[in-house]
Amino acid sequence: MKDFLEMRNIVKRFPGVVANNRVNLTIRAGEIHALLGENGAGKSTLMQILYGFHSMDSGEIRMDGKQIRLDSPKDAIALGIGMVHQEFMLVRPFTVVENTVLGMREGRGPLLDLEQASRKLQELSNRHGLALDPAARVGSLPIGVQQRVEILKLLYRDASLLILDEPTAVLTPQEKDQLFAILRKLKQDGRSVVIVTHKLKEIMECADRVTVMRDGQVVATREVRETSEHELTRLMVGRDVNLRAIKPERKPGAAVLQVKDLRVEDESGREKVCGLSLEVHAGEILGVAGVDGNGQSELAEALLHLRRIEGGQVIVNGADVTSRSVAEHRAGGISYVPADRRRVGSVPEMSVADNAILGQQRKYVRGLFRDLDEARKSAEKLTARFGIRGSGIDQGAGKLSGGNLQKLILGREILRGSAVLVVEQPTRGLDVGAVESVWQELIRARQEGKAILLISAELDELLNLADRIAVMFEGRIMGIVDAVAASVEVIGLMMAGIRPAGAANTGATMKEAPSGETV
Amino acid sequence: MNGPSFVLSAFVVTWLTASLRLAGPVLLAALGETFAEQSGVLNVGIEGTMLLGALASFLVSFYSGMIWASLIAAVLAGIAANLFLAWMYVTIRANQVVSGLVFNVFAVGVASTVYRKAMGDSALPESIAMFQPLHIPGLTRIPILGPVLFGQTILFYATLLLACIAYFILFKTNLGLALRASGENPAAAASAGISVARMRYLGTLISGAGAGMAGGYLVLAQVGLFRESIVSGQGFIALGIVIFGRWNPLKAAVAAMVFGACDALQLSLQIFGSHVPSQLLLALPYIVTILAISGLFGGKAVQPAALMVPYDRE
Repeated sequence: MKDFLEMRNIVKRFPGVVANNRVNLTIRAGEIHALLGENGAGKSTLMQILYGFHSMDSGEIRMDGKQIRLDSPKDAIALGIGMVHQEFMLVRPFTVVENTVLGMREGRGPLLDLEQASRKLQELSNRHGLALDPAARVGSLPIGVQQRVEILKLLYRDASLLILDEPTAVLTPQEKDQLFAILRKLKQDGRSVVIVTHKLKEIMECADRVTVMRDGQVVATREVRETSEHELTRLMVGRDVNLRAIKPERKPGAAVLQVKDLRVEDESGREKVCGLSLEVHAGEILGVAGVDGNGQSELAEALLHLRRIEGGQVIVNGADVTSRSVAEHRAGGISYVPADRRRVGSVPEMSVADNAILGQQRKYVRGLFRDLDEARKSAEKLTARFGIRGSGIDQGAGKLSGGNLQKLILGREILRGSAVLVVEQPTRGLDVGAVESVWQELIRARQEGKAILLISAELDELLNLADRIAVMFEGRIMGIVDAVAASVEVIGLMMAGIRPAGAANTGATMKEAPSGETV
Repeated sequence: MNGPSFVLSAFVVTWLTASLRLAGPVLLAALGETFAEQSGVLNVGIEGTMLLGALASFLVSFYSGMIWASLIAAVLAGIAANLFLAWMYVTIRANQVVSGLVFNVFAVGVASTVYRKAMGDSALPESIAMFQPLHIPGLTRIPILGPVLFGQTILFYATLLLACIAYFILFKTNLGLALRASGENPAAAASAGISVARMRYLGTLISGAGAGMAGGYLVLAQVGLFRESIVSGQGFIALGIVIFGRWNPLKAAVAAMVFGACDALQLSLQIFGSHVPSQLLLALPYIVTILAISGLFGGKAVQPAALMVPYDRE
């Protein structure tokens, strides 16, 4: 196979960091090339440069041996380079066909010819097996279908190089398989595909070659059939890691958190949690799986009373707390680690010390004034206990790395001493080392007897940490399975709204005490 | 015809004719504003732009007597003023509402200063040549509807035509699609190779042209002279009409007529004598506008998702 595109000595600096430091990347015609690296390794920046979104400080890009200039996405599109961003670039109120022709000049001069475009789109969707209704409004389509729209957009422009940034983050396991089948087909057409990812399994499954990045530099490029997950991890992280959580056996205690027939709506009045019931026991981690946007966030927010409860009951330690305020709620025994660390979990402009007591500031007072000494002492204790590394407790919390900030929030919530801990996407965007320590802290909290509701989009995380896994789909629980016995296939089906035979068929609580096995 | 029914039909004719006449300028301003808002810019500066357009058309008409040249001057003044506003909104990425409001205050100062310098301190307001109602022969003789629909100035018909053209551009052309994408999801538009900045400049300049022309309309077809209070909030009303019209030029035309009808009703009621206090009547069109945009009737308006959100590529 011949080299199709070459990026040579690419350097890109942002204020304070070198995002890409003399990066070299070669992509062949007709290959699926994976770009692997942890968050912040510089993969997305490199691809943004290739798509003309960012300018590079130095370096050159060659296509078919000729040097090319990419000053804007327009240049990239003209050269046959297309990109599916992690956050889809779709205009939600527009139809599929309107999104497709957006920015293109063709047909009847300045006039839109949506009929002809629809026909062409239909043809493409038939040829590539990507079923789609060109007249559908994009905002009403499920995420998996929206991704299909993005891919068809590129095919409509006849892109010869398709870049997909974290394409599987929003897909069920089955949708992921479909996506990979499509990518293989595109490869057979002679197109090149770059997938940006941090998931090793997916690389082993579908890529031909892989380039590993760490700290803004390329560490290695390998043929996938000549490497292993083990080697790739070491290249990506820089050391050996074994991401397996050891969970000691523990008999769960009484039901601490009980949710009965909960109903919650989103901003526009659509029901997002539709009569959901569950129970979390002391010393148990109940995992909640599901594709993002199936009501998990609304569930968490409703439990904390950050969102109005339309119906149903929330019971903590036997007391009905359904209609309490957020402050009463938190004092009453629910702690919360939100998915958005920087906008909900912390106040990045304030110091580590202030963030460490956030929510308990009323405890640290002397008369009318704040008791800064006490507050600092407890912050020191927290940073020591959870191993938070930074330049001290007076540093702005926003300057902490994602992992350290997460440990700060998690530590604060654990040390409050609440009986229930609601944790949402605790390791999203963290590097492997930080994931390890967050997992350990959660297991430790479980050992201390907390009832933990763990909402996560990462199946691996749930399989490692949870005692039981509840799968959410469109605001309902499709079934609850024992984590030890759970199969990825069954969970995947339930994530897609299909209830497999044999799975618990109600969202109601399980009568028998769940088992806490060792993994 | 007997007495009361003659009075009634005279009242209706006067009322409806005035409705359409008064709807014209706000509709023009609203049409332009629709482009700005669809591209993601809330251009509050159209109030001041209308004033500058009014001044420009008055001065050109006063000195040259050429009525069409006066109208063009109003449009050009609007575009020039909004070049500055677009720079603030798009290039500087300043707060759109604050920039627009401050610009309106600035425009009043500029207009009154220029007017006094040009006209001296003469106590009498000078009047100028104006567009006259067309009175299309034959058609105007249709009872009631005739004088109402066919007795307007050419500017009114031009405005209706512009509403249709605006609708066509926004919803039937590539340009319109690109402009609306910039106001809904600028990142997606940029990713499709569209220059969001160019679209937003364009939207703001079109709103400048519309507001400038609306100012000219006031002077050349309604009032016939210039004073600082000539616009008196009609630019702000146009902002309401855009929402009432759900960012659609044709619906904005209907919304403008409703506003015009309310405005004309209070004028007609005052002329024909009514027991309702005149202050309350004066407030009528504004109350109706507030109710119309409140979302209490006809569902909540969904504005372009990126309205007032500055866009920065890096």
